[in-house]
Amino acid sequence: MSMADHAAASRPARAWARPAVGLAVLLLVALGALAAVAARGPAPASTPAERVHAIATGLRCPVCRDLSVADSPAPLAQQMRNQIAEGLAAGKSPEAIRREFVAAYGESVLLVPARRGVGLVAWLAPALLLAGGALAAVLAVRRWRARGAAPAVSSPSAAGASRADKVLLERALARFEEDPQ
Amino acid sequence: MTGGARTEAAPAGAAAGQGRPRRALLLAAVMAAVTLAAWLLSAGLQRDPTAIRSPLLGRPAPDFALGTLEGDRTVRLGDLRGQVVVVNFWASWCAECRIEHPALSAAWDRFRDAGVVLVGVDFQDDHPSALAYLAGAGVGWPVVADPGSRTALAYGVYGIPETFVIGPDGRVTAKHVGPVTYDQLEREITRVLPGEPGRQPGAPAVGSR
Repeated sequence: MSMADHAAASRPARAWARPAVGLAVLLLVALGALAAVAARGPAPASTPAERVHAIATGLRCPVCRDLSVADSPAPLAQQMRNQIAEGLAAGKSPEAIRREFVAAYGESVLLVPARRGVGLVAWLAPALLLAGGALAAVLAVRRWRARGAAPAVSSPSAAGASRADKVLLERALARFEEDPQ
Repeated sequence: MTGGARTEAAPAGAAAGQGRPRRALLLAAVMAAVTLAAWLLSAGLQRDPTAIRSPLLGRPAPDFALGTLEGDRTVRLGDLRGQVVVVNFWASWCAECRIEHPALSAAWDRFRDAGVVLVGVDFQDDHPSALAYLAGAGVGWPVVADPGSRTALAYGVYGIPETFVIGPDGRVTAKHVGPVTYDQLEREITRVLPGEPGRQPGAPAVGSR
């Protein structure tokens, strides 16, 4: 790598550092807002029909392909909705109702994976991937910074110049000294 | 100048030497990730998405008390404890149920006096059609109606015909999806029937399609 390369690399590195900080702040704010909304979740179901719908959207219609119990027009899905409504009317918790269906159909009846066992992977993987990506980005930025700052720390001599570059430079200097035009 | 060049060359050489193994490591990691993803994909594609192991196997069978289609009596699963119970979900509109009907009839004839009860559960059916089917096909075993599909939902029925074998202890020992054959019925019944020359009751088995 020649000196000119270093100089060119160090200047843009510092030039994009400020917009990058702004972007990071913006991203943080957006993520914070997203997290706040996600933590609040959807508006709490108030009417009995809404409570049934809330549970039914998280259950897979067993006789359909990739349709929730809430969306399926199949008679069995209708009967599942009835059963959910009766369960709620009898004072069962949504979790207890879901457990009953899981006992009959297995975990595959849940469209939203359980927050335990294998289902935990689906919940944790995005966060872990995001954290890994952020770490990789931070490391990459640090490395670019270090590379950009290197010529400033070292002497302004032929830092990192290849042997061929130095030979060319020395020849050019010699020629310049001989005939400074 | 030359002295400076020599000292400057050392870190540059070290960086180049360090860069190559790190790049190799990164390449290996990427290749490992791609291989893992490809393996997961191929494993997932080869799996039959309809073959879901019933969570009921080895568990107490959900109890039911359902009236027969004829309306003459109520069949209560709890009353059948000590006997092997074969629960068959069917419907008059179900073509594959007609295919398996001879197998069920043969099993009923063979085991009805040996402490085996066969119970048909009519699934999402029209009552007159179901009665007409029973009269036409000649069904000797009790067939019950399942209002609201409560029992079907409790047994995790996906699509009929589905057949469950319940041991004398009231636990589900086998589940079969699709038309069942006589040999499959005989094997699963003798496996759990006390005093029958068959395999010892042991690990629950899954019926194959």
